[in-house]
Amino acid sequence: MIEVKNISKKYGRKKVLNGVSFTANKGEITSLIGINGVGKTTILNAIMALTPVNSGEILINNEKINKASYEKITFIPDAITMLPQMTIAEAMQFMQDFYESWNQERATELLGFFKLKESNKISSLSKGNTAKVNLLLGLALDVDFLLMDEPFSGIDIFSREQIAEVFTSHLIEDRGVIITTHEINDIEHLIDKVILLDEGTVIKEFNTEEVRENEGKSVIDVMREVYRT
Amino acid sequence: MKVNFNNRDPVYVQVVRHFKEQIATGTLEPGQEIPSRRELANKLKINPNTAQRAYKEMEEAGLIHTERNLPSKITRDEKVLGAVREELIEQAVDSFVTSIRSINVPLDEIVGLLQDKYQKESKE
Repeated sequence: MIEVKNISKKYGRKKVLNGVSFTANKGEITSLIGINGVGKTTILNAIMALTPVNSGEILINNEKINKASYEKITFIPDAITMLPQMTIAEAMQFMQDFYESWNQERATELLGFFKLKESNKISSLSKGNTAKVNLLLGLALDVDFLLMDEPFSGIDIFSREQIAEVFTSHLIEDRGVIITTHEINDIEHLIDKVILLDEGTVIKEFNTEEVRENEGKSVIDVMREVYRT
Repeated sequence: MKVNFNNRDPVYVQVVRHFKEQIATGTLEPGQEIPSRRELANKLKINPNTAQRAYKEMEEAGLIHTERNLPSKITRDEKVLGAVREELIEQAVDSFVTSIRSINVPLDEIVGLLQDKYQKESKE
């Protein structure tokens, strides 16, 4: 379980996060939702200890992030970080050299799943295929938690559908996933839990099936209520 | 298998309804094996936890059975199967009655119309 406890973060005088708390469970897909600039990416960076927070703490399986827990979690940024002149095979090799947790078997399966060709250069790929390679490089790691920053942003509908299918497949196994997004249409039926953010705070946290069951509301209904008032 | 989910009913409830419809229409036969939870999640593009929940509900209602690690199967219990059919018929009639009542049509007229339409549709 990832526990974010009352974290605050300032950039200069600007408060980006203001007492954010939530939990994300293993085996569940938790979605951080908010319009742009509400601190979603900052939260992911804070969980990865890539950005220091001013107050509050983050626990991963009841411990502060340390070398061992760092191996159990990966961050997939919203854009690929590999050099464009690399081929997909070279990018995979790079990951394999760099990470002990690289799982070549799953990587090969993901290549087939996304219908990607190993010999293709990253620079030659469409936006959608670049996003898939980016995702593949993170998904192929044997980690307990995957943090994905806007995996559906700025790509065509068929690529989005294909990426969404990963979440319903065995490739995700029973790992915990945190996704940031501002677009929920594609994944409304996929996510377990929603954290709605606004101006650096959590304004609502709910389980999607519970809100449908108890209130007869869709995720968008709840968002409309929260953001329009 | 393709289901158009609406966004306001729990997905697991919609999955159970889908199975009931398939049972009532005979698409799923008594004793027939059904996909694993993971396969179902994949086919319907839903969260695996939701598929799990739907199967748990159906298991509890006696619609499906799972023995040890074998694939789950549709029940052969005729009582349960009959109840599924009745439930779906009742739901369909209820929603028909609700919508027709708001137009204020006498029952005789409805029954006549119903017979005509039903026979026409069966011939087509």
